[in-house]
Amino acid sequence: MSVFTIALTLFIIANPIGVTPVIVSLIKDFDFKRQRFIAFREAMLALFLALFFQYFGEVFLNALQIKPFAVTITGGLLLFAVALSMIFSFHESTEEAKQVKQEPFFVPIATPIISGPGLLATIMILSQRENNNFKLTMAILLAWIPVTAVMTFAPYLQKIFGKRGLAGMEQLMGMILALLSMELVVKGTAMLYHAIYT
Amino acid sequence: MTTNESTTLFTLTVIFFFIMDPVGNIASYLSLVQGLDKKRRYLVLLREMLIALVTTLLFCFLGEFIFKFLEISEVTVRVSIGVILFLVAVKILFPNKDSPRANLPKGEPFIVPLAIPLVAGPSLLATVMLYADLEPSLWLVPEAIFIAWLASFAVFLAAPFLQRYLGNNGLLALEKLTGIILALIAVQKFAEGLHRFFTANS
Repeated sequence: MSVFTIALTLFIIANPIGVTPVIVSLIKDFDFKRQRFIAFREAMLALFLALFFQYFGEVFLNALQIKPFAVTITGGLLLFAVALSMIFSFHESTEEAKQVKQEPFFVPIATPIISGPGLLATIMILSQRENNNFKLTMAILLAWIPVTAVMTFAPYLQKIFGKRGLAGMEQLMGMILALLSMELVVKGTAMLYHAIYT
Repeated sequence: MTTNESTTLFTLTVIFFFIMDPVGNIASYLSLVQGLDKKRRYLVLLREMLIALVTTLLFCFLGEFIFKFLEISEVTVRVSIGVILFLVAVKILFPNKDSPRANLPKGEPFIVPLAIPLVAGPSLLATVMLYADLEPSLWLVPEAIFIAWLASFAVFLAAPFLQRYLGNNGLLALEKLTGIILALIAVQKFAEGLHRFFTANS
């Protein structure tokens, strides 16, 4: 595969366009400048994680005796926890409307939303297949240009939808995220099932 | 020592170290010993860490026979380890206001809260007991506890430097990484328990 095909594949798997509404709902309580900063920082943290997994992913998972299905199921479960908090977040707004929420840091945006189990697994498989490590690193960096661009664009969506629109959207996005996360759990369980019965 | 045993030792050490979560406790530790002078600080730290170690080892030896006595099956123990580790991971990843870390008492720490529950919390004690039951080798678990304890001790000794060079955000990122790795291990252990269950019943 060429650098560009790999980069495109990684961009599609990271799926920043699809998860932008989720990111917006997670950071909607901060002011605009801060939101842009958070989005950028999370993109960089996700990049760091992706590069880490390219070079050390296999060693790391082997050392801790973790199998691929565990990565998938864990990603799903953590995302599901995020989804639940999004769906049931309306209680907070009534009681502690002005209370400052804790800023999302590393979890859940950088991982598992952007650098999720799918992306990390793909990177690990590619690093086994391609002997040229430099090429894969270039591809990851190349993929991250649009990823970062899309993510830092996310705060502008708030200007379009407005605060109220986003509050309504948060629950909808929570539902969608819940489905996505369950999909991961189901996939991981299927992998576990195969590991047991074959 | 066979390779299998040394990897198990490594995994156990990592698990215990992450449940002790020294990186996450740095901020609490520093605020607890804030008013004390340097010499007193090290003394307090040494005392608290020793208490934590003794407590953990005590529960480790308790675990050697209590589950056999209660006739709890191996599958249950394995699955419980997964559940407990996952709960610890969730607590690290999604912190809430009721945690002991958010409500630190004033004054010099004695046993509570630094030794117990910040370092040797209920989840660490439970995990240690379960593993002591699971591992056939008598010394593997205490060995892992001791190495993890040394590592946490080192982290606490280096706490002021770590906070200065990594900053609060760096520490937070490290802690979240800890949480993710714990969650991964938790799911893996849970799955291994299920695997046992299915192979034993089919």
